[in-house]
Amino acid sequence: MHTVLLRKLLEALLTLLFATLIIFALIRLAPGDPVRLMLGHPGEIAAQGTSAYDEKVAELRAELGLDRNIAVQYVTWLGRLAQGDLGTSIFTGKQVGSEIAARLPATVTLSLSALLVQIALGLIFGMVAALRSGKLADQLIRIACVALASTPAFVVGLVALALFAVKYGVYEISSDFSAARLWLPALTLGVLGAPQLVRIMRANLLTEFGKIYVSSAQSRGLDRKRVVRHAARNALIPLVTMVALSFAGLIGGAVVIESIFSWPGIGKYALDSILVKDYPVIQGYALVAVLMVVLIHFLVDVVYSALDPRIHHKGEAGREEKA
Amino acid sequence: MKRRLNSKNPASLIIGLVVLAILAIAILGAPLLAPYDPVAQNAAERLEKPSEKHWLGTDRFGRDILSRTLHGGQTTLLSSLLALCAALAIGLLVGMAAGMFHGSALDHILMRIIDVLLAFPFMVFAMVIAGLFGTGLVHLLLAVVSVWWVSFARLTRSVVLHAKNETSYAAAKVLGASNLAIMRKELLPKAISPVLILATFELGTLILSIAALSFLGLGAQPPAPEWGSMLADGRAHFFQAPHILIGPAAFIVATVLAFNLIGEGLRDRLDPYEKLEL
Amino acid sequence: MSSDNRAEALEVKGLQVAYEQNGRRTTVLNSLDFHLGKGEILVLLGESGSGKSTIAKAVTGMLPPSARIGGGSLRGGAERIPDLGKPGIPWERIRGRGIAMLFQDAQSALNPVMKIKDHFKESLLYHGLASAEEAAAISAAMLERLNFKDVRHILECYPFQLSGGMCQRICLALALCLEPAVLVADEPTSALDTVSQKEVLDLLRKLQREMGLTVLLITHDIAVANAVGNRVIVLNKGVIEEEGDTRTVLTRPASAYTRELLAARNRIARPARGLPPAAGKPVLEIVRLSKTFGGKKRVLQQVDLTLNEREILGILGQSGCGKSTLAKCVAGLERPSEGRIVLRGADIGHLKGKARRETSKRIQLVFQDARASLNPGRTALQLVQEPLHYLRIGGKEERKALAAYYLREVGIADEAQTRRPPQLSTGQCQRIAIARALVLRPDILICDEAVSALDMSVQAQILELLQRLQRQFGFSILMISHDIRVLRAFCHHIAVMSSGSFGERKQESGRLHESRQPHTQLLLKCAGDMEDGLV
Repeated sequence: MHTVLLRKLLEALLTLLFATLIIFALIRLAPGDPVRLMLGHPGEIAAQGTSAYDEKVAELRAELGLDRNIAVQYVTWLGRLAQGDLGTSIFTGKQVGSEIAARLPATVTLSLSALLVQIALGLIFGMVAALRSGKLADQLIRIACVALASTPAFVVGLVALALFAVKYGVYEISSDFSAARLWLPALTLGVLGAPQLVRIMRANLLTEFGKIYVSSAQSRGLDRKRVVRHAARNALIPLVTMVALSFAGLIGGAVVIESIFSWPGIGKYALDSILVKDYPVIQGYALVAVLMVVLIHFLVDVVYSALDPRIHHKGEAGREEKA
Repeated sequence: MKRRLNSKNPASLIIGLVVLAILAIAILGAPLLAPYDPVAQNAAERLEKPSEKHWLGTDRFGRDILSRTLHGGQTTLLSSLLALCAALAIGLLVGMAAGMFHGSALDHILMRIIDVLLAFPFMVFAMVIAGLFGTGLVHLLLAVVSVWWVSFARLTRSVVLHAKNETSYAAAKVLGASNLAIMRKELLPKAISPVLILATFELGTLILSIAALSFLGLGAQPPAPEWGSMLADGRAHFFQAPHILIGPAAFIVATVLAFNLIGEGLRDRLDPYEKLEL
Repeated sequence: MSSDNRAEALEVKGLQVAYEQNGRRTTVLNSLDFHLGKGEILVLLGESGSGKSTIAKAVTGMLPPSARIGGGSLRGGAERIPDLGKPGIPWERIRGRGIAMLFQDAQSALNPVMKIKDHFKESLLYHGLASAEEAAAISAAMLERLNFKDVRHILECYPFQLSGGMCQRICLALALCLEPAVLVADEPTSALDTVSQKEVLDLLRKLQREMGLTVLLITHDIAVANAVGNRVIVLNKGVIEEEGDTRTVLTRPASAYTRELLAARNRIARPARGLPPAAGKPVLEIVRLSKTFGGKKRVLQQVDLTLNEREILGILGQSGCGKSTLAKCVAGLERPSEGRIVLRGADIGHLKGKARRETSKRIQLVFQDARASLNPGRTALQLVQEPLHYLRIGGKEERKALAAYYLREVGIADEAQTRRPPQLSTGQCQRIAIARALVLRPDILICDEAVSALDMSVQAQILELLQRLQRQFGFSILMISHDIRVLRAFCHHIAVMSSGSFGERKQESGRLHESRQPHTQLLLKCAGDMEDGLV
């Protein structure tokens, strides 16, 4: 199994590398001279047109290595990244790395909490829907899921805010990162993402119910609870992969939620930066987001290998070759 | 415990199609049906609640929300469909190629590309594009297509790999079918229904995402009456005049709901590969 | 279930079952009665569609939701179910300790993510038959009783690590440790190879002797009935044709249907017209062929084989031995890792693309699952034209005429030619597949277990058809099968494969018993034992 994990780690690193390449390419492809953009700091605009400005441009250009060939630029850039230097924010002049690091805990807390909510709802309602498949409970759950999946995140968010903050006053409108303010955005985000998990859980369980080992367990006289447990054990494994994919969606979805609830995470930070064209921040945000996704995918791969004995006993999803 | 198959209840399919039909007629017929000019401002009638004169009320510039919503639908729907078609075409092609030549260098490269693109949450990618290349619907759509084809490619590849294990595939090969013939006759027909089902769901998600990005200010810019930007417009006044959002929000929900219902209905009837969606 | 001095372990009266699908109702069983004595092995013998599986599911409450039970009473031990059709039957109480079940696909009958020992532990603990500590010892003892060596290791394994035969014995052990009054076995050995089959059946007999095990065994295989049954019930379309002591029923059948079944079986063993003559020249030479999957799994090792013109060559082997992979390599579906495949002097093993497709004109393949190899949306005529279409042979009219001709040759009359597979029987589907394979006039026809999935009577028909066509068109046949009887009657020569290679050169089929290979001898012995006593 260790060879499998090592290979997956290598793949993850490779993926990360290529992702950085894409980000680098995008930045270089963006219209506008990066240097002049970077010097677009309010204080510097006044200096445009003077020779002092041109000197500064040349200086910055040399410092950023923009006068050298593109491959070298990439490598130097990569080197800086590896050391944690994500550049300097044009707007605030602070280090992007530390700005993001300051806001990261908020986003991570939000995403993970939402993930927990999603998983809990997905498992519970998915199981109920499968067990009562075809009956009223199943129909209701499916209707609820379809309705929820059709509603834009921000609508739900705004409505939640209107209800709980304005109408009932149980939620505080501010920009704090506090435990008391976590519940509403986490719940909202989690509920929005739950329908997908419910659907997959239901489908997986129903598929397992049709398999022979379930009939076999029944034939041994086991009660319903235990028979369902047999099926659930198998149905849950592919769900783990689903969690990985969900997480990528959560990081994206968090942006809207952070915006609505004024949750001080990296999503909101990036959004604000886009509107003022603060390129280093955008770049930093992209890199951090990608890093998180790749990390989660890798962790999920590890967990999956551990859970499915067919993998960790054979090193490959053993499909018996029928000779 | 007995396992029941998904009930072949056509209700969702029918309801979805009906709703979609109504919306399509309303939206495509906007130039004829809308009571007012969507960009005509009228300072005297700002932020009016829904009334007989303005069924969905007016926004902060006095523009009729119903008219704006109907016209805006054209932009939203047509651009979504366009993006979806592009993503579908690319995805099918790539997925078919990767699956057909499974294990080859091509497959590995394509899978690597897919993996890398999957590392970018869609929102993040769209934000980066918007931030670097500027906001606007066109950039948004490009961002969408660049990332969206991936889920279709993966599903297609899954279906193809599955189909390659089947006897009918081996039979076609033995009977002398060329790769192209096999793709056309064996693989494509098998891939069409699950991919189409996925497409209906993805279209819904697409509309929601475009709306969300526009809401955040990164998509279609005012005064274009696109649904998302209308929501962004109305956001500032939400608490005093919530009706501003209701118009476009309701239409968004209805549209996406219609597509989701159609997707569910189709899946209940057609899809043997439900589990392969992973 | 409490012990009972009654001599009947199971008594079923008036069983009526129908299936309802898409508004159509098909009656499968109509007022069926039977009984099973204590310590007896009763075999329900029937072809597909006879209702035998339905009976097994009805007495364990495992019919699908589309089933409608019109009536029927069940009596066994202390349980009395007056009406099987009424809801609310306490099946959970009856299953396991009252009636236990064995399934055809044993490996799938075990939870893929649970270790074997945990299967036992769960069952024993649930029924209160043992504590957690005792469970280990009990399961070990039971496995030893069922001829397992290295029990400690087996218990720690997952199902996918074990063979089909082992899985079935484990399922048997699992069922037995609950001490069931009746064991219902639904085609328990159909998916196993000859040697494993014999092993499982011998075990059933041994357990019958030692602990009075009572078995209701469902099968379509007459040899299985012969090997293990005390009594046989012959079932035809839900009706009992004959019932009685095994020896009597199978050697001096009273009913016409049973006679037909046995006759069909014998037709396979003794084909009417004997073998057509084989010419001398080799048409296919396989030289030191090896195939390794994923760099690790060696499926074929240094295989040598020669096929002559007009020869019918049988490849005999058990599941997993590599015979299907060999067929695939010859047919071009797999590429050999090493070695050569020479067709009339030309090396075809490593051909690609268009050249490979040209070889399709010379080598064709008929698959085991006829329906799966045919597109259900096309008519028979369209299906047979497929290869002509793929290889761009002939014009539209020509193709149609050729297709019609070959369909007639395989026995599909003009009216049936416009039908589609769902409207045709499995036998007809296989005929269409054969016609489709022959339309290119190949030199070699590979039959990969082409008759194994067919009912006995249909098997005989298809084999006779192949013989006639071979005589008529002069192609060679490479016949892959696990069934010795079929090969012995049908082939000039037989090569026995095990673990990816042939132990010795091909033998004349009539002289297979002279083989020195221990594997071959074991195969012959097992098959012979199971047939012992049959005509």
